[in-house]
Amino acid sequence: MAPAAPLEAAPVILRVFRGSPGGPERFDVFRVAVGPHTTVLDALVRLREEAAPDLAFRYACRVGMCGSCAMVVEGRERWACRTRLAAVAAGGPREPTVTVRPLYHLPLVRDLVVGMEPFVARMRAAGAAFVPAPPVAAAAAVAPIPAGSRERRAIDAAVECIGCGACLSACSMVGWNPAFLGPAALNRAWTLEADRRDAGAAGRRPAVLGEAGVLRCHGQAQCTAVCPMELSPADSIRRLRRGAVARLLAGRA
Amino acid sequence: MDGTRGAPTTFRRGWTDAGSWRGARAGLWAWLLQRTAAIALLGVVALHLRNPFVRTVQALLLGLVLLHALLGVRAILLDVGLPGRLHRGLFAGALVLAAALFALVWWWRWY
Repeated sequence: MAPAAPLEAAPVILRVFRGSPGGPERFDVFRVAVGPHTTVLDALVRLREEAAPDLAFRYACRVGMCGSCAMVVEGRERWACRTRLAAVAAGGPREPTVTVRPLYHLPLVRDLVVGMEPFVARMRAAGAAFVPAPPVAAAAAVAPIPAGSRERRAIDAAVECIGCGACLSACSMVGWNPAFLGPAALNRAWTLEADRRDAGAAGRRPAVLGEAGVLRCHGQAQCTAVCPMELSPADSIRRLRRGAVARLLAGRA
Repeated sequence: MDGTRGAPTTFRRGWTDAGSWRGARAGLWAWLLQRTAAIALLGVVALHLRNPFVRTVQALLLGLVLLHALLGVRAILLDVGLPGRLHRGLFAGALVLAAALFALVWWWRWY
């Protein structure tokens, strides 16, 4: 087990959202000792071991790979496992304080845990599955796109989404219009649109270019600002739009 | 979902909750500023049509038109293919250019 944070470290006040659907909601306040590398997740794990055994939060890899610990830390969507408390603690005249709450726009399960069903439903609605171009049996249908090619670079820039939900939470347009497919699903649609081996574009376009699709994005790029994988769903959405306009101008809409 | 749970609770950022605004970044402020300028212009244009010789209204009209137009140019440039990583610079550029053009037109006005 990793050594605990040094006790001489400065304490931080950690405000943690507690609540269940339909039940009372509150912020519990804890004083936690924080070393220079203590992450939000480290602090939550310690709280659950020592002070709040019923505190619910989700995590798996602890090393910034899986995205399951995404939550809103100090007003911004972040990975709890890669966010150092000392770096985000609001200073000033009062004691350094960090407020942690569940992601927005996803249904609360308990405390810091949200259900990912709406995220998955958006992926499905956007046709996020790869549809092999015929003939499926031909090796060419699934052959790798050459590394370094323009097509590969375009896809690589958007393909590493780990489904953490941070972008969906940060998107103010999803807040206004819950039917909006949102950044992650449209980003995924772009990676498939850019892939010549995929044959699902025609089936995908009614949703992607429809009333709840790319038109609902207002280019605020909040999604891009919070993406822990440093993807830019905002750019992907613009590419989908440009593609639609190009097809329209070419009479192929 | 189990049947014993209460009604689903889905949080969204509230306009009046200061904590909700802490996550706002440049792109959101640019969008909000452009929309605010558009709405403000509706009133300022009406005032200007009623009496075109009020200096304050003239200044407001000029400032808001510049702000709205240049932020619109920023959005168009991003839409036609400028990389999204430039959006903060474009936002700053639009604000600086709006201020510069305002100063130029206001202090060198020809009437």
